[in-house]
Formats: sequence, structure tokens, C-alpha cells
Amino acid sequence: MAELLIDPNIRGWVFLPIVVITFLVGIIRHYVSNLISSTKKIELTQLQDSQAMIRARLLRENGKYLTPQSFAMRRHFFNNEESGYFKTQKRPPVTPNSSAMLTDLVKGNFINVLPMVVIGGWINWMFSGFVTTKVPFPLTLRFKPMLQRGVELQSLDASWVSSASWYFLNVFGLRNIYTLVLGENNAADQTQSMQDQMSLNAAGQMPQDPKQAFKNEWEALEITEYKNALHNVCDDLLVSVSEPMTNNIHH
Amino acid sequence: MADNYEEMSCSEAKELLRKWRDDNERRSDEVVQIFDYCLADKVKKLGSERLIVLEQVFVAALDCGRIKLAEDCVRVLISEFPESLRIMKLKAMLLEALERYDDALDVLESIINKDETNAAARKRKIAILKAKGQISDAIRELCDYLRKFMSDQEAWHELCNLYMMEGDYSKAAFCMEEVLLHNPFSHLIHQRMGDIRYTMGGQDNIEIAKSYYAQAVKLNANNLRALYGLYLCCGHIVNSKAPVNKRKEAQKLSTWALKKISEITNDKLPRSTKSSKNSNQSNDIAALEAAFGNLDAKLN
Repeated sequence: MAELLIDPNIRGWVFLPIVVITFLVGIIRHYVSNLISSTKKIELTQLQDSQAMIRARLLRENGKYLTPQSFAMRRHFFNNEESGYFKTQKRPPVTPNSSAMLTDLVKGNFINVLPMVVIGGWINWMFSGFVTTKVPFPLTLRFKPMLQRGVELQSLDASWVSSASWYFLNVFGLRNIYTLVLGENNAADQTQSMQDQMSLNAAGQMPQDPKQAFKNEWEALEITEYKNALHNVCDDLLVSVSEPMTNNIHH
Repeated sequence: MADNYEEMSCSEAKELLRKWRDDNERRSDEVVQIFDYCLADKVKKLGSERLIVLEQVFVAALDCGRIKLAEDCVRVLISEFPESLRIMKLKAMLLEALERYDDALDVLESIINKDETNAAARKRKIAILKAKGQISDAIRELCDYLRKFMSDQEAWHELCNLYMMEGDYSKAAFCMEEVLLHNPFSHLIHQRMGDIRYTMGGQDNIEIAKSYYAQAVKLNANNLRALYGLYLCCGHIVNSKAPVNKRKEAQKLSTWALKKISEITNDKLPRSTKSSKNSNQSNDIAALEAAFGNLDAKLN
């Protein structure tokens, strides 16, 4: 195949601008999100509930190291029909679309989705159809859709990179540069914040209804069977030493 | 190590301070020394870590009674973040160090008013009560705190210590059990449980103490204190009115514990028997063993 020669103007007006634009957008994102993000206020009751849940879970897991009486006492504290913690604490169910959460959602969309769509669309429109650069090693045909988005040419070698693909490479590859410039835990990286949003949506559902959570924990604690782990520890100690010790004891 | 602080370069000092911060080591003396020798003139050069280092040095300075240095640090921090609750807590700590407890309480109170989930400020309030010697008030406040922050094991531990100061061992045992739930594999906490139960006395408690000591020994075979505790508990059971098979078992266990103790102590001794200090030590151990023997004889 004939060697392709790329116009130096493409370097000056497509290749470098894409790098600079993605980089600057990241920086702006960082500062904008710093500007409009609000620290999440945690309610005291919410905190108390979560700590109680942790304590109950630990009791279930490690309660076997307590004496039977201590275990029963703690279970009574959580589960007693009249005065138990999980029975008496009535929490109003948190409505999922409270205003604070809604603004958070809007803000998140504003910072994450909007620039992604707008900048991505603009880049696609502005710089479409350029072959910008070449990776310095041969690649198989399978890489063509990844590296040559927007340039569907059958005969083009797979190691050439199109402008749209170059933009995506930059979006995903600039994380380390941001860390260098803005320090750790910056908000510039789109991919990172998108991951956060995903996991937040998955995990954020759970503590929203303390009543349900209490009921689950109550159930789990109710069926926990107490078995004293320290019951046999002295025997274990004796068994583990009795073989080498027999001479000593009986002599 | 302490001698080298003068020659340490700025970046080395920074590294060391960061390491201590990350590992949660207090090391107040060293921190203040490093600051005096290496960093005092170069605070500006610390870059992004400047303020966090100042906070670290501030706490260290309070620990060492260097009020002047602490005031300098906190002044910089206040000018940087006039509104921050974290800095307000530092201010309260400075007031505490100056023994202006009422002013400190005012500051802490205002922090809690602004952010009622601020655990650190609540804990400092309890610390002030403890510093003033009002143990029963401190206990009451701490119970109140623990009703809200139930899984704060540090606080449970502190409450346990406060109850022990008051001699209320059954409540101390309750708090220690709470700590045990958090770290079921720490031999020191098992040993502590054994200590408390043994101190409470009574047949049942001695039995419980025995099993906790046994668990501590199981987790760490070199825990000398737990071995002694095990030995004492078994001795107690042997001489009690417990059923015969239990007494026999306890007898076995106490023999084993005593052998283990002498193994450990003898292991440690011969390595440097020449120094007189060690011969003193071996005398001490001989005396201790004799004392235990006497105890045995008396009980028999």
C-alpha cells in the first residue's frame, strides 16, 4: 500500500486542538464542579441509624465471643418486642425525589452529561473525517471501528487514527495528566465521575428506607443462633498441648 | 534517629511527616523537633501540604506544651480558613491547653450547633470533662454520645477506662465487650476482658475470665500477662468447690501455663545473662515464682 502523507495543517488545526480542547474542558469541569457542588448534609438520625445497623451486624457476626448473658442483653436491646431499638425507632420513609436529591441529579447531569454531549458532538461535527495520526505499530482489522470512527475506508491501514477516535482516546487517556496538574481526587475526569454516578445509583438506593433496613436487620438478628466460641477454648488448648506435654504432666 | 533531624533535608522531613500522618502516629516530640530544625524557615516551600503540616505541628506543639508555636500555627490556619469547623476545633484545643475550659466549651458548642454530626467536637467536650476530673459527668456525656454514635469503638474503649476509674467493673466489661465485637481477633482485648472479669471476682466470672485468657493465649502464645491470668484463674478454680473433673482440668491447664511462662522467661534470659540488670531480672522472676508458689500453698 502506498505510504500516506498527512498535511501538516492537520497536525496544527485538528490533532493538537483536539488535545487542547479535551484538556481544557477537563480543567473547566473540575472548577465548575468545585463551584456548584454542595457538601452532602447528613442527618443525625441517619447517622445514628447506620451506626446502629453496624453494631447489630457486628453482634451477629462476632457475638459468639461474648458470654450468653451479654449476647442476650444486646439482642434484647435491639429486638425486644416492646422496647427494642429496631421496634421503637420509627423513621419517616425518605421520599426519593426530595428537592436536595433532585438538584444533585441536575447538577450531576449538568457537569457530566451536558459537556460530554455538546463537546463530543461539536468535535464530531467540526473535525469529522480527518485522519489525524498513526500508531507506530501494525494492528489487525478488528481495531478499525475503534480507531477509525468516522472514516470508513476499506483500504486504509488499521493503524491510522481518525479525528473522532482521537478525541475519545483523549477523553479516556488524560486522567494521569489531570492528576499531575490538579492533584489527586480531581473532578476533571469524565469517566471517573460517570463510574461514580453508576455506583451511586446502585448503592444509593439501600439506605433510603430505614424502616425496611431495620426490619431486615431485625429479622437477621432474630434468627441468629448464639453459640459460644469460647466454650471449648480451654479444651482446645489442652488438646493441642497434651501430646508433647504428657510426659511432663505425669512424671 | 533523633540526632539526625538537624541534617534532614526539607523533602525528607516532608516525607516523614506524611508517613506519620498516614499511619496515624502521634510522635509529638519528633514532629516538633523536625519542624524546629528543618521546616520552620521554609514553611512557604511546603506547597500543597503546607496547611496540613501546620495542623499536624499544631497538635504536636500542644502535646509538648509549646503554646507559642501552636498559636503561630493556628493563626496561619485561621487566616486561611476563617469559617472552617476543623480549624475551630483546633482553636478549642488551644483554649483547652491554656485551661480556659469555658471558652473552649463555647467554641465546641458553636461547632455542634453548626454541624450536629460532628463527632470530634462532641468527643472533645467529653475530654474537657475528663481533664477537669469530673469523671461521672464525663461518663454521662459519653453515654449520651454513644447512644447516637453506637459503633465508635474508640469511645467504647474510653468509656470502659472511665468506668474502671470509677471501679464499676460490670459496666466496664460491657464496654469492653463492645470493643471485642469490633476486633474479635485481638489477643489484647481478650486479655483485657479476662482482667476485668477476674477483677470482678466470683466463681462465674473467674470461669469466664479463664476462657477469655485462654482465647488470648490461643491467639498469641507469647502473651505473658494472659498466661499469668490463666494460671491465676486455674489456681482459683482448683481451690474452689467446683466439680472434680473441672478442678482436674484446671490443674492440668495451670501446670501447662506455668511451664509455658517459665519457657518464655527462660528463653528471654540466657541471651544476655552477663549484665547485672538481667540477673536482677532473673531474681525478680524467681521471687515472683516463689510468690506464686506461696499463694498456691496458702490456698491449698
